[in-house]
Amino acid sequence: MGFSEPKESKAEEEQLVKSLQAGQMDSFERLANLYQKKIYTLSFNLTRNAMDSEDVTQEVLLTLFKKIHTFQGRSAFSSWVYRITLNATYMKLRSRKKEQSISIDELLPSFNGSGFQQERTQDWSENTESLLFDNEVRETIQKAVNSLPDKEKVVFLLRDVEGLPTENVSEILELTIPAVKSRLHRARLFLRKKLASYFDEYKTRKEMK
Amino acid sequence: MICCKECLELLHDYLEGALSPNVSASLEEHFEDCPPCIAFINTYRSTTDICRAALKDIEIPDTVKEKLKEFVEKNKKT
Repeated sequence: MGFSEPKESKAEEEQLVKSLQAGQMDSFERLANLYQKKIYTLSFNLTRNAMDSEDVTQEVLLTLFKKIHTFQGRSAFSSWVYRITLNATYMKLRSRKKEQSISIDELLPSFNGSGFQQERTQDWSENTESLLFDNEVRETIQKAVNSLPDKEKVVFLLRDVEGLPTENVSEILELTIPAVKSRLHRARLFLRKKLASYFDEYKTRKEMK
Repeated sequence: MICCKECLELLHDYLEGALSPNVSASLEEHFEDCPPCIAFINTYRSTTDICRAALKDIEIPDTVKEKLKEFVEKNKKT
């Protein structure tokens, strides 16, 4: 599951950053165009609120513009932007009432004493893409991701939804690679189980019709 | 033979090809006789695919795009 960026676009981006640092204002517009969708999507997936995501996107673009001279190139530019996005998003979320999240352990797989799976594992993996045309399915997936504990959610969004390499996620979140992998695995297990119960019920419901 | 629990704990690394060939082979040996684990792997993979598909294609609303454009223009001039 690798999604590395093409080299040319990375070189172009580096050039844009350098020219903005040198005071070329047109570069700001181009960087804003390159990043605003990424910023908005990440923020929206964390807040599920269009107004908050709009505010966050503006704030991040402004920070990018005003603080570009502080970017020293020690990390990837994209990691710097994602970090600013996460900080701005968490500030927004902090101002809202905290929703109760469920414990991740409740949704991890269960085994018997000899280590064999206890649950009935239905294979719902075929044709899941076509299910996405159903709004109810999309909403259920969004809610499931939203119910992940924060630590796992951000790793899942950056790695599996944005498609960033594990190394970049570790850089953005200042976590070790094993920690990123372990949180991602827990997030996937949690979501898999949530979706498994939903698709079981969904299938039965459709068959009854 | 290793059990389901051990296999599923190693699943992330197995799918990334990060396990040693020996360990990988013992997982595969287990999977051959374990349909529940096969179903688990398929649905584990699908979880990522379907969540990405459901969350990735968020479009910035046109009105917001317009506002961001004005915002960028304004800041460019300052």
